Amino acid sequence: MDKYKIDARAKLIITLCLSSIAVFIQNVYVLGFTLVAAILIAMLLGAKLLLVLKSFKKMWFIFAIIVIAQSIFTNAGANLITIGNFSFLSTGGLVKGLEFVLRLAVIVISATIITTSSHREIVQGLIQLKVPYEVAFMVLVAIRFLPIFMGEFRDTVTAIQLRGVDIKRIAFKKKLKMYYYIFNPILINSIKKAHKLSVAMEMRAFRAYPKRTSYLVLKMSLRDYFVILSSVFFTVALIVAYYLFLRGGCFESIINYRA
Amino acid sequence: MIPVTIKNLVFSYPQGRNNILDNVNMKISGGGISAITGTSGSGKTTLCYCICGIIPHIYSGKISGEVLLFGKPIKDMDLAKIATKIGIVFQEPDTQLFSPTVEDEVAFGPENLCLSRDEIGKRIKSSLNIVGMENKRYEHTSHLSGGEKQLIAIASVLALDPRILILDEVMSGIDKAGRMRIKQAILNLKDSGRSIMLVTHDMDDLDIADSMFELKDGKLLSLAYK
Repeated sequence: MDKYKIDARAKLIITLCLSSIAVFIQNVYVLGFTLVAAILIAMLLGAKLLLVLKSFKKMWFIFAIIVIAQSIFTNAGANLITIGNFSFLSTGGLVKGLEFVLRLAVIVISATIITTSSHREIVQGLIQLKVPYEVAFMVLVAIRFLPIFMGEFRDTVTAIQLRGVDIKRIAFKKKLKMYYYIFNPILINSIKKAHKLSVAMEMRAFRAYPKRTSYLVLKMSLRDYFVILSSVFFTVALIVAYYLFLRGGCFESIINYRA
Repeated sequence: MIPVTIKNLVFSYPQGRNNILDNVNMKISGGGISAITGTSGSGKTTLCYCICGIIPHIYSGKISGEVLLFGKPIKDMDLAKIATKIGIVFQEPDTQLFSPTVEDEVAFGPENLCLSRDEIGKRIKSSLNIVGMENKRYEHTSHLSGGEKQLIAIASVLALDPRILILDEVMSGIDKAGRMRIKQAILNLKDSGRSIMLVTHDMDDLDIADSMFELKDGKLLSLAYK
């Protein structure tokens, strides 16, 4: 996908724009359109979407529970399921649930756009976008520590299984209790590792001076400028248009409809 | 001038009752390999921390005595200044390497010293050359073996061009081939005129040492000189 290679800063701006749309706009049509755009951009830039979807496999049921909760607790529009006088599910609730899924999907997919650059390029992008280098490196270390945290979690669960506990067969309540017990040691181990890393960084003169030079320097091409400008323009235009014209439009009528 | 002089060093951690270092006196002369051995928990790592300034700059505790780096008390020097004179490589390479590629990792130190890009390039090349890892320059650090990771950790510290290098149990958990490569890298470092302090609990690692010390019950005993 070298044909569509763009600067890390352009990717950061695209991600920021897509996430902003997801956060500020509450309209399923616009969110649906944004999701399609995010998928297309991520695919063009070579993001491994399937891999990301697979890594979220175990979390789908949490999303489903949130959607159901959103649907139940949003009492608007026509009642679809009622128990006595209590409206269990309404059209407004369904729309809100759908909005939540789309919003989450846009944020996750847009984040995959960043993964098409190396961590170092992203950090350098942030630094060249005038983000303080200490903050940029914090991001790098956080990215670096995610797999370590996951590995620590996996090792602890494996150690428990090796002691004869079949996690797949124990009751959900017991499983929750087990996760509660292993959470502390995993967290403490991760903090210890993070502290060791920070000592190693300081011993390599990190934060020795208010500024630092960089061996890697990102250079933007005309294409990158075009991508950044068009992304910002489109996002601002969409958000402004939404708050001026679309809000209270089509879907609001469904939500506000009372049977 | 003697690179490191330790005078009557006594140290205990804030929560500890006993002195982990008890009246330690030592000199690390220029251009040799000084090995420190001792059982687990004997205070080897604590001594390393005192020599490179992690104690008292990062970790605190009850400390008395003096550690002089090229004649200056280390407690009065800031870590940035210390980092250009003395480098430390820790036991676990995974908690030292954080950059995606070897090149990024080695460049990190010189970048912090605000060196020019040309100079950083030269330092990356020479550091990787000393540890024999030039061919891995563009590789992802997570794709390396344990021994290779440790060599990259050494190269990353070397890029700061320190005159003294502390290697704290760098060969533990590494296979025989990896240990041979690390030992060769240490000998290359010695040939380049650097002073090396090799900390280990494995007697097999001591064959390359010029002088040997043992840390026992907080006291440093001189074992042998070549």
